[in-house]
Amino acid sequence: MASIDVQGVRKNYGDVEVLHGVDLTIRDGEFIVLVGPSGCGKSTLLRMIAGLEEVTGGDIHIAGKHVNHLAPKDRDIAMVFQSYALYPHMSVADNMSYSLRLRKTPKEKIASAVGAAAAKLGLDPLLERRPKALSGGQRQRVAMGRAIVRQPKAFLFDEPLSNLDARLREQMRAEIKKMHGDLGATSIYVTHDQIEAMTLADRIVAMHAGVVQQIGSPLDLYDRPANLFVAGFIGSPGMNFLEGTYHSGDGKADIRLSDGTAIPIRPREGLRDGYAATLGIRPEHVELKEDGSWQADVELVEPTGLGIILHLSIHGQSFKIFTADRAVLSPPPSLQVNFPEEHLHVFDEDGNRAD
Amino acid sequence: MTPDVTSRSRAPLMRRLAIASEPYLYSAPAFFLIVAVMLVPLVLGISYAFRDVQLLNPFSGGFIGLDHFRTLSEDQAFLRALKNTLWWTGASVFFQFVFGLILALLLDKPFAGRGLVQALVFLPWAVPTFLAGLNWAWLFNPVIGPIPHWLYALGIFSEPNNILSDPHMAMWGPIIANVWWGIPFFAITMLAALQSIPRDLYEAAAIDGASGLQRFMSITLPFLAPTIAITVLLRTVWIANFADLIVVMTNGGPADRTQIVASYIFTQAFKRLDFGYASAIALVLLGLLLIYSMLIVLLRQTLLNKD
Repeated sequence: MASIDVQGVRKNYGDVEVLHGVDLTIRDGEFIVLVGPSGCGKSTLLRMIAGLEEVTGGDIHIAGKHVNHLAPKDRDIAMVFQSYALYPHMSVADNMSYSLRLRKTPKEKIASAVGAAAAKLGLDPLLERRPKALSGGQRQRVAMGRAIVRQPKAFLFDEPLSNLDARLREQMRAEIKKMHGDLGATSIYVTHDQIEAMTLADRIVAMHAGVVQQIGSPLDLYDRPANLFVAGFIGSPGMNFLEGTYHSGDGKADIRLSDGTAIPIRPREGLRDGYAATLGIRPEHVELKEDGSWQADVELVEPTGLGIILHLSIHGQSFKIFTADRAVLSPPPSLQVNFPEEHLHVFDEDGNRAD
Repeated sequence: MTPDVTSRSRAPLMRRLAIASEPYLYSAPAFFLIVAVMLVPLVLGISYAFRDVQLLNPFSGGFIGLDHFRTLSEDQAFLRALKNTLWWTGASVFFQFVFGLILALLLDKPFAGRGLVQALVFLPWAVPTFLAGLNWAWLFNPVIGPIPHWLYALGIFSEPNNILSDPHMAMWGPIIANVWWGIPFFAITMLAALQSIPRDLYEAAAIDGASGLQRFMSITLPFLAPTIAITVLLRTVWIANFADLIVVMTNGGPADRTQIVASYIFTQAFKRLDFGYASAIALVLLGLLLIYSMLIVLLRQTLLNKD
């Protein structure tokens, strides 16, 4: 187990810079999730830590050791790939023991390590099978087994659940969390799925276009998103945004939409009078009230079972509400809503959070 | 009794016949084409082996049973040709495969100008074999070709001789030409197979701690094995039947030292004009190659089933 230190790491492909200086300190035993949309550089960062990609600039330390120029095998890390990357010509047991055999580990030690991992993952009856005779979930388990037999300093996961169906993904997600609880190993987990990020992470690193947007605990990112990108990316259904201009005076303030409607908010620091600002509120925080201050036209109703997503239009801007109230299954053509002040997020003209 | 069955048994005879023969009528055109184009010539050719067919003898053509095969079993030239065929085929396939695989492994890695190099590498394949044979014959010829002089300068030869006229070395001439000409075939097929191997596997192996050689042995080779088996089979049959280079470069000489079965058939048929005897030799070659193919196909099946 080890800490991992990433300092000012950059990556170029030719003239194109895909990572613009990433700083990240991962404590021993921490579960870090790198999350972001496709092409944000999260996998590249992971592969640089693994040693599969050259580091263009900056430094990576694993357990205090500078590893920029170390081969992957000398970094003492294990990686679980999206495609599982199981060796198709080896049995499950051979797949799991390959790294130990290469390191000339004594036979008894290999047998006990593989046995322990297989028992932990429920792979005992499958040890003699080839990967192609396994289901997706079983392959996923073998890939994890291959990672844990070696007891590496850190586990790297590259979208390990993306090839599984939704039910299995949920199940494996819980198993990964449980395994991390048992082993306490430093883990870096790459995903584009914000649910995986929220449920697994000790800390989430939200990335966009090669830049780290925010680092924090899952609820930090949910409750206090640092900018518009994080606000929009974390949470499902996504946060509602209303664009307007900020006006303040006499200890009061409001955001004025393009049609002149003013939504009162408490005054915030860092916002300039007359400049553009964005108001954000999560669909689950919008209140449906008969005496609400805002009228919304109903466009679409999406029942999810757990609750209902209402697609609305407020002053020409599309808007969503998530509610557990089944009364809205057949809503009137228009509703009254309220935006509770304590749940409002306000972002300045550059998209950064203002408090 | 369902209504369907009763109505069918009551259908008129002609109709039932038409229904029964329907699948055969559909497949008949293809069947007759195959018979006419493939089976008739094959059977005709095989029948020559049991007849006395000599172009220069107007009274020949009669059935002579196994006479040709009796002659063949005592024909020293044929036995030597058989040995030469083994030698020619084995050496050609082996070196073509080894160099083709090395080339494919080199071309599998990205580098600047790879597209151009790939195109150049596959060029020999596009050269007509007769041209390739003539070209190499000239290269080995000390009067106009540089190779004997280079070998002499390197001290390998005591004088710049033509290896094609040296009874002990002559076979190497066509083999070298054949290797040069056939490498692209292996390079293309191996490269295609290599590129179908998922890159993740190499990355996983690199993290697991496998060296380059260990990665080759535990990932590349198992992936390539079925392709290797089938291409080696194809090339072996092809090369064993492939007399062009030998006919052009040495014509079987000196003193039959480079005569392979295929070129011996050519000599018998088109120099001595004894089509019957040539057919008998061809039949023996066909039988040997069939046995060989069966073995390789069996080998491939077991390789594939193991996975």
